[in-house]
Amino acid sequence: MKRVLLLIAVAVIALSATGMFSTGNTAFALSSEDDFQTVTDRGVLRVGMEAGYAPYNYRQTTDTNGAVAISNQNGEFANGYDVKVAKYIAEQMGVTLEVYALEWDSLINALNAGTIDSIIAGMSPTEERKKSIDFSDKYYESNLVIVVRKDGKYKDATQLDDFQGANIVAQRGTFHVDALSQIRTVTDAEQYDTFALMITALKSNVIDGYVAEEPGAIADCAANSELTYIQLKNNENGFTASEGDTQLAVGLRKNSSLTSRINAILATLDEDARAVMMQEAIDQQPVESVELGFFGNVAYIIGKYWTKILEGVGTTVLVSIIGTLAGMVIGLLVGFVRTLPEARTKAGKIWQKIYNFLLSAYVEIFRGTPMMVQAMVIYWGYALVNNGVTMNTFVAGLLIVSINTGAYIAEIVRGGINSLDKGQFEGAFAIGMTHRQTMSCVILPQTIRNILPAVSNEFVINIKDTSVLSVLAGFIDLFAVGNIIILGTYRTFEAYLIISVVYFILTFSITRLLRLLERKLNGKANYSLYNSDIVSETPATAKGGIIND
Amino acid sequence: MTDAILTVNNLTKNYGDNHILKGICMTVGKGEVISVIGASGSGKSTMLRCLNLLEKPTGGEILYHGNNIQDKKFDVHRYRAEVGMVFQNFNLFDNMTALQNCCVGQIKVLKRNKHQAREVAMKYLDKVGMTQYINARPSQLSGGQKQRVAIARALCMNPEVILFDEPTSALDPEMVGEVLAVMTDLARSGLTMIVVTHEMAFARDVSTRVVFMDNGVIAEEGSPDVIFTNPSEQRTRQFLARVL
Ligand SMILES: Nc1ncnc2c1ncn2[C@@H]1O[C@H](COP(=O)(O)OP(=O)(O)OP(=O)(O)O)[C@@H](O)[C@H]1O
Ligand SMILES: [Mg+2]
Repeated sequence: MKRVLLLIAVAVIALSATGMFSTGNTAFALSSEDDFQTVTDRGVLRVGMEAGYAPYNYRQTTDTNGAVAISNQNGEFANGYDVKVAKYIAEQMGVTLEVYALEWDSLINALNAGTIDSIIAGMSPTEERKKSIDFSDKYYESNLVIVVRKDGKYKDATQLDDFQGANIVAQRGTFHVDALSQIRTVTDAEQYDTFALMITALKSNVIDGYVAEEPGAIADCAANSELTYIQLKNNENGFTASEGDTQLAVGLRKNSSLTSRINAILATLDEDARAVMMQEAIDQQPVESVELGFFGNVAYIIGKYWTKILEGVGTTVLVSIIGTLAGMVIGLLVGFVRTLPEARTKAGKIWQKIYNFLLSAYVEIFRGTPMMVQAMVIYWGYALVNNGVTMNTFVAGLLIVSINTGAYIAEIVRGGINSLDKGQFEGAFAIGMTHRQTMSCVILPQTIRNILPAVSNEFVINIKDTSVLSVLAGFIDLFAVGNIIILGTYRTFEAYLIISVVYFILTFSITRLLRLLERKLNGKANYSLYNSDIVSETPATAKGGIIND
Repeated sequence: MTDAILTVNNLTKNYGDNHILKGICMTVGKGEVISVIGASGSGKSTMLRCLNLLEKPTGGEILYHGNNIQDKKFDVHRYRAEVGMVFQNFNLFDNMTALQNCCVGQIKVLKRNKHQAREVAMKYLDKVGMTQYINARPSQLSGGQKQRVAIARALCMNPEVILFDEPTSALDPEMVGEVLAVMTDLARSGLTMIVVTHEMAFARDVSTRVVFMDNGVIAEEGSPDVIFTNPSEQRTRQFLARVL
């Protein structure tokens, strides 16, 4: 019985959480047969990519070389082979191109949720993926190679067998891992999330090499002078790779009417034209070879990215402040409601039971699940309910931090009120104050004062924990800025070091500020004895502001 | 008896099956200073708290100038402002200075403006000898000082009656005197007071009437002279023999 009630409560909360933002359109099924019509009606083709997989797709800070603005990230531009192909397709269809930067793992979700119309992200049409989406014909085909150090043990390797015993890694969730497992079992630790990380690891001798596709390898070696790559022909002296893996194709919804149109357009793009596009993409890649030594690199990154860093600080601090304040308001409300004296009427008692139950469910659920998971559930739940329209990621971030913090502060408030002496209530009632006056003049100020250290603590935690919200693509907080810097400079260590110093400065100074505030709220440590003569002579001019000074 | 301020008829109070008050009858006239004495657990505090509805009576009635205070239409907040209360543990608002403690009720309940409230507060803080300490917070005051501020806070509401529940019991012996002096002063100035106390000297010398409570009822009442020198009840005699 209890379990059923709990399930109902969870459902109610989940529904109201997503329902709150729905715009009335709650059709769950998307008809992909109308895709082409939708795109031409809209006049816009929405394409999703990582914007972080050079030379297929990468970012730049200006629109030079025909880069396209990233629609969900202000001030960022995408370019690369994928962007060039996407532009060509959009042009041929007679619509404008919009590029959405999304995490690799969320591309297929976003496509099926209708956030984007197609994936052009250096994605191969694997059997696994074909279960959930369709693919166009190939728009590129490449070889798998291994990137190594120019001065390393494997610089003269010529075939896959030469790498027996070498510490080679591959990108998690790609067929590179499957290919690599042809020579040996690949552990979790040998799978990296980004190429930037693999490059950093290779340069600091953590690994001997990593698997890449040839265009990517060319780009990486161009940006990192100490690297080279070993050319391995698929199925000859290299990896046994299926066509479904080495080819790249456009990802589309199942049965999408766009597929045939795009195939027709790709057919007009011959081998030579593709080669030219790829060469351009490699040449235009804006990655600077930053090799100025540790301090030089740090100085270079700060000089180049300080506005971005400030932007990230702004987002982090703003979301943390507003989220903590909103959480405090939610927490105070919930805490107060949960400490109301027992209702007197029967109906009142039942009503009180219901909302107390719902509020405890809220507190328990949000305290009992990771914020990152809550972010995913709310963000993608909203997109699903609203036919693929996603929440503004900043708003989503704020919402999640507020609700999450509210659940924590509600408990703090409850403890804060319960720890107040009952005499504080009685003293107020005894001079005729109403329940509301008692709450606002006596109980609330003391509760706030009592919970302030705990709230400060929540604030500092929020500063750090908002970093998990970078799973929401386009939520550019301080942590996400770190990732942007790495994509542009390949300086993983320096970038994270700078970011961590900024985090520390933030939390340290904020902690000090809040301590000051606490001390101020405590009132003066000493009081000065009052000279009564002044009062009796000039009562009207005596220091005013009796209650709120 | 029409000029009685408070009339208590057959007041009872139970906590579950626990009968604490078993039919209290009493009238309080203008200017009376009534001391309520009795053994611990006899129900003195409970009776006092019923008088200003901090506890809800189980049965009987309490009339204020002839109006039943438990009537639905009766304005409890206004009534509490007119029947002040001073607690054993002071119950000053910890987030406010002495002066703010005395002003907040005047402003919120009596709707006085800040300047009026401050003037009244200064008058009564002066009366209890606490003018110097108006900017101090409760945590910065001694017990005796706190209780004097609490008395000033009650006086600021210009109440018709003040109920005192063992106002000196939580005080160190050397501070009892300063509070009793203030209360004696108030009694002499004609304020109506009901004082639950273990200070027999105060009961004997200052009050106009002494009420002896035993086991949830008023066992005996009368002038201090009669109660202290010639009580008619055996249990009164026993109680006094123990405390004097
Ligand atoms: N909320 C309550 N629930 C149950 N019993 C209570 C409650 N409040 C008081 N009592 C009981 O009522 C009885 C009378 O208490 P009361 O405080 O009125 O005594 P008192 O005469 O003021 O004693 P003292 O001199 O020690 O203050 C006591 O036995 C006490 O345990
Ligand atoms: Mg008592």
